[in-house]
Amino acid sequence: MTTQTPSATAEALISVRNMSKSFKDFEALRDITLDVNRSEVVCLIGPSGSGKSTLLRCLNFLEAYDTGEVRLEGELIGWQEGTAQPRRRVAAGTLRRQRQHIGMVFQQFNLWPHLTALENVAEALIQVKGLGKKAAQEAAMAALAKVHLSDKAQNHPANLSGGQQQRVAIARAIAMEPRVMLFDEPTSALDPELVGEVLTVMKEMAAEGMTMVVVTHEMGFAAHVADRVAFLDKGRLVTLAPPADIFGREPDDPRVRSFLQTYRERNVV
Amino acid sequence: MELDLFVRYGPDLLRGFGVTILCWIAGSLGGLVLGFAIACLYRWSIRPVRWVIEGYVELIRGTPFMIQLFILYYGGPYMGLVLTPVQAGIISFVVYGSPYFAEIFRSGFNAVPKGQIEAARCVGLSEARIMRRIILPQMLVPITAPLTNFIIILSKETAILSVVTVPELLYETQTMAAETFTYIEPFLVLSLFYWLMVIVTSWLGGRVEARVTRHLKRT
Repeated sequence: MTTQTPSATAEALISVRNMSKSFKDFEALRDITLDVNRSEVVCLIGPSGSGKSTLLRCLNFLEAYDTGEVRLEGELIGWQEGTAQPRRRVAAGTLRRQRQHIGMVFQQFNLWPHLTALENVAEALIQVKGLGKKAAQEAAMAALAKVHLSDKAQNHPANLSGGQQQRVAIARAIAMEPRVMLFDEPTSALDPELVGEVLTVMKEMAAEGMTMVVVTHEMGFAAHVADRVAFLDKGRLVTLAPPADIFGREPDDPRVRSFLQTYRERNVV
Repeated sequence: MELDLFVRYGPDLLRGFGVTILCWIAGSLGGLVLGFAIACLYRWSIRPVRWVIEGYVELIRGTPFMIQLFILYYGGPYMGLVLTPVQAGIISFVVYGSPYFAEIFRSGFNAVPKGQIEAARCVGLSEARIMRRIILPQMLVPITAPLTNFIIILSKETAILSVVTVPELLYETQTMAAETFTYIEPFLVLSLFYWLMVIVTSWLGGRVEARVTRHLKRT
């Protein structure tokens, strides 16, 4: 794992430049610049409403950012290249191709309840990757094995615990062999005793070199797994630093200090 | 009970029952298809188109079926639209049912959590595939009961088609009653026919509902 703060380089996997996003009059994100390098784990932390989730959702264009750029391996996401104003969206097929390389895991799992765990994972392999049914099922089983759910392949989501559902959702995303995985508060909807199994899977993915951007309230995970931690407040990127600089000593910024204080009081970090 | 009357009028009644079923099924299927198209159009189009759709829904729901049928059948020829009674019956049925079906489908679309559609987009599924594989199977869960309900209502609304001389069940029954001066028996038999349609529909609806909700069962 890299501990030094990497400089903005061309080799960044995801490169966000001066990105802003507003919802009507509400300025959700303001002038965000951030690089995520290959095999790096970046955790986004901050108070609710600070724009963490919006930032994550802009990375795969679930939210269309207003200005600035989001690039994956140099390719502009969502908008057409060029200086024409207003910018035009890329074609639907192009966006689908771009999104294939960006896996996403949601707070609410968002599994498709009418399909089994296996079918949830295999669906896009068949439809998007064009695999035959048998090959898709084999690939789906391999993905389920990675999240330790081989024995639950035939279960519908209604017959899985929250932690198991979230792990199926992770399998669904990694089966597509994405270049980067986005996690939007993946453990916030889980009972405390189920959080561990999801975090374990995420740690294993990080150890295997998966590039990950994780919005989380799990400060323990951010402190121990992240290469860098980004602290957002009121739509701005306040701090982007290795976890040791944020959790290991008293942070310089008063906003980070007061945010972490609430966790310290609960002995989380 | 004068059974020989039914021997004499039986074929006419059965033929009427056939016409009723034809109008009902063709009208319901047409209404389902048109209603689904309207709901899809509403979901994916720009505001002016939505206003037109809202106007259509309010207009059709706000007027009695019989008036719509009269306008189509008697008013049609003035606009160069000459229809047989059965044609007019089926078309007016399709038009009459479509906004109700559209509203049911619209509520069905809304019932599918947005996050599931986002998840589908994130793995790169196309919008058509999302509709077929994610939205449709799931929206059937909340809408099967109201769809069954409305199709049952439509089965009995077919009786109104008799006013434009569609030779359906009520029309044939009235003919029988008028010609034989018997009233109780023919209308009891008539009720039996409608009841038959209703229980078959409700049984089918139950089967469909069991099929589309089976994934929700906890084992």
